[in-house]
Amino acid sequence: MSYGTTVRDDIGNEHPRKHLRLKERGELEVKLLQSDGEEKCAIEQKLRTQPVDDHPYEQALRKAREEEKSFLGEAEKRREACLSSIKDRDPRLRKWTCWLHESEARLDFYEPLVDMSYDFELAYQENRILARELPIVIALRRELLDELEEAKADLSSVGKEEQAAALNEFNEYRRQRKVSCAEEKEKIRQKHRQGLISSKALQNEQKRAERSAEEDILTKKRLLPLPKRRDRVRHIKHRLKVDIDSRWRVIHSDISDIRRKTPIEVKKRYPWLSMLTFPIPGLGQFLIGQRQKAFFFFLGTLFIYLAAIPYSLGVGNYRGKGIAGLISLAKDGKRLDRSIIFMIEGVIAVIFLVLAFLIIYMSYRDVRSTEKRMIAGIRKHNWFETRMVMRGKGFPYIVSAPAAILTIFIVLLPIAVTCLISFTNYDPTHQSKFSWTGLENYKAIFLGQGMAGGPFWRIMGWTVIWTLAATTLAIFIGFVLALLVNQDRIRGKKFFRTVYLLPWAVPAFITIMFFSIMFSPSGPLTTVLNQLLGNTDPSEMLNIKYTTWGTRIVLILLQGWLGSSYVFLLCTGILQGIPNDLYEAARIDGAQGFQQTRYITIPILLFQTAPLMIGQYTFNFNNFSIIYLFNGGGPFEPSKYGNLAGSSDLLISYIYKLTIQKQYQGIGSAITMIVSLLLIFITWMGFRRTKSFREEKL
Amino acid sequence: MKKIKSERLYLSDRPPLTPIKVVLLAISYVLLLLYVFIVLWPLAQILITSFNGNQEAYIIIGGSYSFSFKHFRYLFEETYFFNWVINTIVIAVATALLTLFVVSFTGYAYSRYRFKGRKASLMAIMLIQIIPTFAGITAFYTLHSILSAIMPWFSRQMFLVLIYAGGGIASNTFILKGYIDSISPELDDAARIDGCGNFQVYRLIIMPIVRPMLAIIALWSFIGPFLDYLMPSILLSDPKSYTLATGLYTLITDQYNMHQPVFAAGGLLTALPIIVLFIALQNQLVSGLSSGAVKG
Repeated sequence: MSYGTTVRDDIGNEHPRKHLRLKERGELEVKLLQSDGEEKCAIEQKLRTQPVDDHPYEQALRKAREEEKSFLGEAEKRREACLSSIKDRDPRLRKWTCWLHESEARLDFYEPLVDMSYDFELAYQENRILARELPIVIALRRELLDELEEAKADLSSVGKEEQAAALNEFNEYRRQRKVSCAEEKEKIRQKHRQGLISSKALQNEQKRAERSAEEDILTKKRLLPLPKRRDRVRHIKHRLKVDIDSRWRVIHSDISDIRRKTPIEVKKRYPWLSMLTFPIPGLGQFLIGQRQKAFFFFLGTLFIYLAAIPYSLGVGNYRGKGIAGLISLAKDGKRLDRSIIFMIEGVIAVIFLVLAFLIIYMSYRDVRSTEKRMIAGIRKHNWFETRMVMRGKGFPYIVSAPAAILTIFIVLLPIAVTCLISFTNYDPTHQSKFSWTGLENYKAIFLGQGMAGGPFWRIMGWTVIWTLAATTLAIFIGFVLALLVNQDRIRGKKFFRTVYLLPWAVPAFITIMFFSIMFSPSGPLTTVLNQLLGNTDPSEMLNIKYTTWGTRIVLILLQGWLGSSYVFLLCTGILQGIPNDLYEAARIDGAQGFQQTRYITIPILLFQTAPLMIGQYTFNFNNFSIIYLFNGGGPFEPSKYGNLAGSSDLLISYIYKLTIQKQYQGIGSAITMIVSLLLIFITWMGFRRTKSFREEKL
Repeated sequence: MKKIKSERLYLSDRPPLTPIKVVLLAISYVLLLLYVFIVLWPLAQILITSFNGNQEAYIIIGGSYSFSFKHFRYLFEETYFFNWVINTIVIAVATALLTLFVVSFTGYAYSRYRFKGRKASLMAIMLIQIIPTFAGITAFYTLHSILSAIMPWFSRQMFLVLIYAGGGIASNTFILKGYIDSISPELDDAARIDGCGNFQVYRLIIMPIVRPMLAIIALWSFIGPFLDYLMPSILLSDPKSYTLATGLYTLITDQYNMHQPVFAAGGLLTALPIIVLFIALQNQLVSGLSSGAVKG
């Protein structure tokens, strides 16, 4: 990297170098690139022999720096001298006045040095701003303080008699105003009686009259001597805070403007600091001189070295061994060690390490970009500027942090653990200690082997039938009902809508459990059904819950009953939104009622509800509660389904049985992963076609 | 008078009724009323059973009827119904509050800011919301024992709240983001010109406008715990700590506890407030659902 003869500031303007030695070097380097042969050697020689510390400019600069140091060292003395001469008693006024004196002194000091270095120029400019703006702030505060003093005196001077007199006057006014309000209302009522205004207008007018009376009384009350003066004090206090803060913000942004326009010259050519300090976030920022920013990164360092790394090594774990535990899964561990805990703590350790890595990377990027900018000539951010950046660009990250943490630990972590379990032999014989088995579970599922994997394809088949049948039935019922109810001539729309809403409004678990009771072997509906079929002989009695297809058909009908409400409501909403012009146009073109439905209503309905209907299919694919609560997945057919599943089990209830009841967590997790991937794939395909995705409006 | 009636002008917008249309209309009414019966009959049975003093442990339909509050008395005196109600309400309220707090910020951030990783994380959110909450059931159990070892006060109900809220973040963020997208950004710009910072724009401009949608999100998060059976059945073990769904289920499965009419009574008490809520707010609830069109 070459020094070049110019430096570039944050806005992009080029400035000539003021550092003469670097400028010389830069010029030589530029020449070096254009020359060749002997000339090149000569330039190289020059570059090598260019004096560094003995360079006249360096000497002058050093001298100036020393002067600056001694001048700044006397600042304390100047401050004391100044303090003793100030008459104000307010500590902030005293501080600021001293500050003003100091900046005036510095202004004089830096003025002759401006051409020597951009640092001096910046100091000069900064102090110029301070010297210009501080008197305004000081005057403002002094004025406000005086006003406050006066207002307070005013407040305490309110005599008891004065207040009492005013109060009397106010009470009198209130009484009168109330009377006048009543009169006004009476007038309005009279108008109403005469039939000049409607009863709606009567109400509104009366309310208006009451409100205006109330407002008048409140205004008067605020103007009483005590509240009025109290308000004034509060107002001044507020201004003391807000007005002065905003003046300070103006000063700060003026200064950062200057910082942006004044370049910096550094001798460094490579961003080596970021390379050296990246293991300790905060150190780089500290060395550059961004103390406050460094403090926050140091908190990150504390997290990395006191939490993340020890945890991943197994220190401070609940029972596990950090990352090592994730690999060993408590193999050869103590009797009480449980593999599942080792696994979860291992995953937590991985998450911690990823967070640690993120912090390190952020800090590295931060230091590196600051360094690179400084080499190019742009000054580092001061705390005010950093805060502005955080409030702007950092805002979305800061506010979504709680959501991110919750999602990582409550959603992602369990999913990751499930994914890992699917590669282990976590089953009834390996409850406390299990080990990695690779793809064994998936093999068992796909080949339909073993106790748990055997019925997989059967269950999968029923799940698909169930999803298609139950959802389609619900959608069909909902559709037809919506079309019927929303005909022009149907009366009592509100009644029908309310009734059809009920299956959705009653919590599903209640209806399902109730139907489960009704269809139980001696349940009321079973009896009714048998009477209808004429079965009286107990051996011939049809029993829904004991026959596979009986249960399945009832389940599908029941879901049709439950799910139709939602479809009905959605379709009704859309039907009401179809503009009437469409139908009128169709009528003019000669379309009959049926044709209108066929070519206008149904296409619009289908088109608008499609994504939600896909949602209904995925919902039923995972409809655990209806299966489990109705018949527990039964009836059981051990010859076909083994001992673990019933013949109405869906994949989801099968997973529940495997993992929660029968302790085949390995296989259960593998099925979970397959189901999740399938769902993601289907939804993804559906979502890709939606408008919002294609228009990149995400 | 009769003459006048027959000569009255046909003033309706609609074409006059033909005989075929009369028949079709009649069929429509028959179908609609039939479905009204199908909907109301089971619900009516719940209602009737719960007030029928002549019902014993098993429900019998068509038996004799005598009005009594005996099942309700049983519900309050012999079961933990009161505990279940309190548990469910506490969990529901906590879930709604937590969801609101978290989601209102993320919805705003995702709608209004173009930050690095925005699209990637939105995509991740999309995919996460498809994976059902049950995917992590094995981990939840162990995770809770680890958490409660560190923080002994951390109860299973609190964990349930975290699961409900955490599971809802993705879809609710999506819904709210869509809603905020529809608010003109010029409002924000105007506020910014007047000197508002990010937080103030959110608090003073966005918040009041999105309040209806926040209410819907809160409502759905509130209703969720009332309807869920799966999670509490896995996590809660003590009958006193059950929610309504798990608690009422014990009344029809437990051999010793079996009391089907009492279940009907409990179900009625649970369903009534929710039904009222749904009927009163049906339009808002449906619009909340349909704006989350991508939810699985």
